[in-house]
Amino acid sequence: MIALPLRRFGRSGLGIVSIGLPIVIFITLSFRAENFLTATNIANVNSQITALLIVALGQLFVALIGGIDISVGSVISLCSALIVTVDPAFAVPVVLVTAVIVGLINGTGVAIFKVHPLIMTLGTMTFFQGMSLLLLSGAGGAVPPALIAMSKSTVGWLPVSFFWSVGALVAAGVLLNKTPFGLRIYAIGSSEQSAAFSGIRVTASRIGCYVICSLCGAIAAIYLTGRIATGDPTMGRPFSLDSVTAIALGGVLLSGGVGGVTAAALGTITLGLMTNGMNILGVSPFFREAVTGVLLLLAVSLQKRKVIGI
Amino acid sequence: MIESDARPSGALALRLRDIAGRLSAMPIAYAATAFFLVCAAILRPNLLQPFLLMLILRQAAPLGIAVIGQSICIRLLSLDLSFGGVAMMASYLLTSGVLPYSEPVLIGLSVLLGLLVGATNAYFIAVRRASSVIVTLAMVLILGGIATALSQFRAPGDAPEMLRYIGQTRIGIVPVAVLVWIGVLVPMALFLRYSVFGRYVDAIGSNPNAAWTSGIPYVKVIFVAHILSSLFAVFSAFMLVGFVGFGSLSIGSDLALNSLAAVILGGVTFGSGKGGVLGPAVAAFMLMFVFNLLTSFGLGEPGKQMAQGAIIALAAIAYSARSTRI
Repeated sequence: MIALPLRRFGRSGLGIVSIGLPIVIFITLSFRAENFLTATNIANVNSQITALLIVALGQLFVALIGGIDISVGSVISLCSALIVTVDPAFAVPVVLVTAVIVGLINGTGVAIFKVHPLIMTLGTMTFFQGMSLLLLSGAGGAVPPALIAMSKSTVGWLPVSFFWSVGALVAAGVLLNKTPFGLRIYAIGSSEQSAAFSGIRVTASRIGCYVICSLCGAIAAIYLTGRIATGDPTMGRPFSLDSVTAIALGGVLLSGGVGGVTAAALGTITLGLMTNGMNILGVSPFFREAVTGVLLLLAVSLQKRKVIGI
Repeated sequence: MIESDARPSGALALRLRDIAGRLSAMPIAYAATAFFLVCAAILRPNLLQPFLLMLILRQAAPLGIAVIGQSICIRLLSLDLSFGGVAMMASYLLTSGVLPYSEPVLIGLSVLLGLLVGATNAYFIAVRRASSVIVTLAMVLILGGIATALSQFRAPGDAPEMLRYIGQTRIGIVPVAVLVWIGVLVPMALFLRYSVFGRYVDAIGSNPNAAWTSGIPYVKVIFVAHILSSLFAVFSAFMLVGFVGFGSLSIGSDLALNSLAAVILGGVTFGSGKGGVLGPAVAAFMLMFVFNLLTSFGLGEPGKQMAQGAIIALAAIAYSARSTRI
């Protein structure tokens, strides 16, 4: 009898914890922190989590096939450095092409050469972090005004970041739920062997997921660089692990096959609310980092895996 | 084809193939070290002075010690990326002066820290079955965050006298740090080769599920491996702190990545259970030598990072390609 709702919720990754946690935090913060429930702060939270949401959606695609991409933070840093170093007219195309190349490298290493995704993306993470520091040694440079306008203006009374979030959610949702590609990803995540036997081109789909993840990193970089109006070669550093923490909190299984756009969004909101809450309550930013670490530990230890090892 | 002719040449070909097979099964680090030494001999002969080579060996000693722990973890299909966090915290304990104890007590406390971190890592990896990379990276966030937040109230001070002796003194031309490295390396090599623990590591590494089914104490072995790994990270931090002479939050920040690169280059592969202690040690020296070579060509920190990343990715691809072909 209980099988029906379980099955319906099964693939989405949603559970009591992933739905309840953000609600509990929201209610607690509304009572504990005075400035929390103001329109300005809510708009603030939205702008703060938009970039993380975009990256988390990218990470979701990789997680669904049982992979992980910790190089996405370096992609953000590299793209941010590129935006202020290349000709402003080509900034966006250059950044997108770069992301596709990084995604292809990661995907090739993982899907064709069968390198463990963590090792592969750890390598590319270090490589591209070095490259972005080579391009730009510190924060600085002029961002094209159009990009600043795209990230900082308001439409009516809504901040434009709201539309970035909705756009990313809708795009990821359609791609996952309404296209054959999405179906294939779930099939591969559940059982790569069965998927291959059913005639799915597993290698191409897996490479595709890594390209999508890097592209999400590039889009987040465009948004963030516009928002802070300057290039920063270390901007993406926290995003690799934060995005993994976010989707894990939302109930996405890092072993693949289980998870969805709603789960990724809820996890991002949970993490965003916690960061914002600690900010308002005046917790040192370094302790906040430690708390993120504890959260990450708790989130992954809640999902007991069958696999042993990395 | 004449039969009498074919036989000896066949045997020769077999032997040649055997030699070639053995050569190609050798860690990449050996050939690469030779290659870079030749490069240096041609382009930067100054680097090959015995005095400088000893300095590079001393630089490699902390990494070499950390690598021993990392290689045990990797043979067990696990990974320890928490070295940076452990080193930061140990450096804070040793040099901040926040704890009013004598040097041996501080050193003892740091060892205790290693035990604690290793056991926590192992608990999440072996008992909760979480991914070792996520667990140990989370550990870096936690330890690094706490150490950085605490350091805001108190600047790091001088390193304990005892550690400065190990880090900075030399006997004849040989630095004490190098002697310590060898002093740890040899017993560990013997221990891993002849002890029951070493056999368990081999068994779990070559097939964790088979080892699990046949009753090998997987959880215990992981605990021992991760505690050893964190302890080696603490020892490595001792050397680094002594080497620099004062505490710093950037101590050991690239220890984890370099140790991973050294282990892969040193011929230890994930899940094969194979790999000795010598290969990674040679690779540790090789990495330091390459970084010095790059510095002599004027490549700064970004270039170094790119080299690290490329080495990790390319070496992993090379090993994978080799093992899937066979």
